[in-house]
Amino acid sequence: MKLSNEKDLRFAPMKVENEIVLMPDCWKVDYWASMGELSRFFMEVKENGRLMGTKCPECSSIYFWPRSWCHECYVDCEWVEMSGKGKLTVFGKVEISLSDLQKEVPYIQGGVHLEGARYAVAVCIRANYEDLYVGMPVKVEFLPPEERTGRIRDFYFVPDV
Amino acid sequence: MKKVAVVGVGNTSFKARHLDKTFPRLAYESVKAAMEDAQATRDDIESVVYSIYNDFFEHSGMPDYHIHYLLGLARKPSIRVTNGGATGGCAIKAAFAEVASGLHDVVMVVGVEKALDVANVVEMVKTIMYAADPFFEAHLGATPAGSYNGAILWHMEKYGTTEEDMARVVVKNKGNALNNPDAHSPMKITIDEVMKSPYVIRPLKILDHCLSSEGAATIILASEEAAKKFKKEPVWITGIGASTESARQAERDDTGISLLPAVRASAESAYKMAGISEPAKAIDVAEIYDSFSGVEIILYEELGLCDWGKGAQFLKDGGPYMEGETPVNPSGGLIGGEHAIGATGVYQVAEIVRQIRGEAGARQVKGAHCGISQSMGGARGAYSVTIVCEG
Repeated sequence: MKLSNEKDLRFAPMKVENEIVLMPDCWKVDYWASMGELSRFFMEVKENGRLMGTKCPECSSIYFWPRSWCHECYVDCEWVEMSGKGKLTVFGKVEISLSDLQKEVPYIQGGVHLEGARYAVAVCIRANYEDLYVGMPVKVEFLPPEERTGRIRDFYFVPDV
Repeated sequence: MKKVAVVGVGNTSFKARHLDKTFPRLAYESVKAAMEDAQATRDDIESVVYSIYNDFFEHSGMPDYHIHYLLGLARKPSIRVTNGGATGGCAIKAAFAEVASGLHDVVMVVGVEKALDVANVVEMVKTIMYAADPFFEAHLGATPAGSYNGAILWHMEKYGTTEEDMARVVVKNKGNALNNPDAHSPMKITIDEVMKSPYVIRPLKILDHCLSSEGAATIILASEEAAKKFKKEPVWITGIGASTESARQAERDDTGISLLPAVRASAESAYKMAGISEPAKAIDVAEIYDSFSGVEIILYEELGLCDWGKGAQFLKDGGPYMEGETPVNPSGGLIGGEHAIGATGVYQVAEIVRQIRGEAGARQVKGAHCGISQSMGGARGAYSVTIVCEG
């Protein structure tokens, strides 16, 4: 079992600035978070380069990101493969990121409404920013298999025109 | 103040890991069960109070927010209550207030927790201890066991309570859990086996500790008028009490006649509201917070189920056993049944409701008309008591 890293700021000495004590601390939490009933989505992305949604057997709504149950009908949904094609609903270029993606700036995030899906989702976009427009047809692309980690950033959307 | 009924109860099974379910899914399954129990639909639900303890467990700063719309309840009001181990009881208190005040007629309380998405128990407990005073005590190496240990040691010192007495609580509660199909840790175990388990902090051994479970529980509350449209005979919340204690362990007074005085305070206000003057006679069944075996013995006294200093004797005389005067933790409690923290106080009340309805199966207490649920936490900073009775 891995114990706290001695290098954590949590174990560093305090410092004083203008008679104010600044106490170093670190909130670092590791997880093996079960993706549970959503596991197939991540396996399909990583192993097969496919985007899976779900479909309600009663009202036929298609959910992407997948939902394991339909919040309207309260019944379990079935897996369906998405075409990977859709339309851009919104987009923006990130130049300063307050996240661990800072090293990747500038990058583009956007909303994509996939064909057949009930709702749009937020995804990575790779394109010339100047080329983009709302309603632009886009399609999914995946990183090469050896680069995939099973995360959402294994795929991104590019213009499909 | 309007009368408040419980009209539906539901829960998932409880276990160490629900690897196949996310926390919204666990919540949904308990909600669906409670709605089926009440024959309610989501249209009946006017408001929701989420009972979720720890952001680190759910790896979300607002876990409630990621359940509510998935329940198809977007645009209906919701709040989240978090209050350490007392989260469930305090969430029920908030929902009770919504109904009693007339603000809403039907309010659902959804408790869920999924603690071991945190990579290991060390990390998980570390997040619990982030409840410790961040200015001075956080770096002292405090543990959950340590937060109760002072009171237990004083009880041993003052009243001669022994480690064997505490082991009896473990044997009772893990044994009771054998009658609960949803329980996390049903076990036929002996006092000797408990005594041989390794110490964590003396006198507490591993088997004296509560479980760390994953699971969910939901109850649906309704006003007297609204309760008429649901299937089951309503069971009433007649008393609500809550209290708090200094968050700094060293500031607490654990040395008086009452060793957990904030429990006593929360119980007194709940009993007063319920019109109960002799709890030992009025209470037929109890689901209480056996975070550690020794704590349950102290709670018998704090809740007035026996006299001061007589907790261990009450246990040895059979009082809290299934056939005793006041069966305590028929579900198995936190040691045998479950401890999915945010779900716990909600599940306790669900269990009392089942007892009063006569739906508790193999763990049914004969003649259960009135019961008590009690929880506490936040490294012993927050306290709650709920009294539930038949009409």
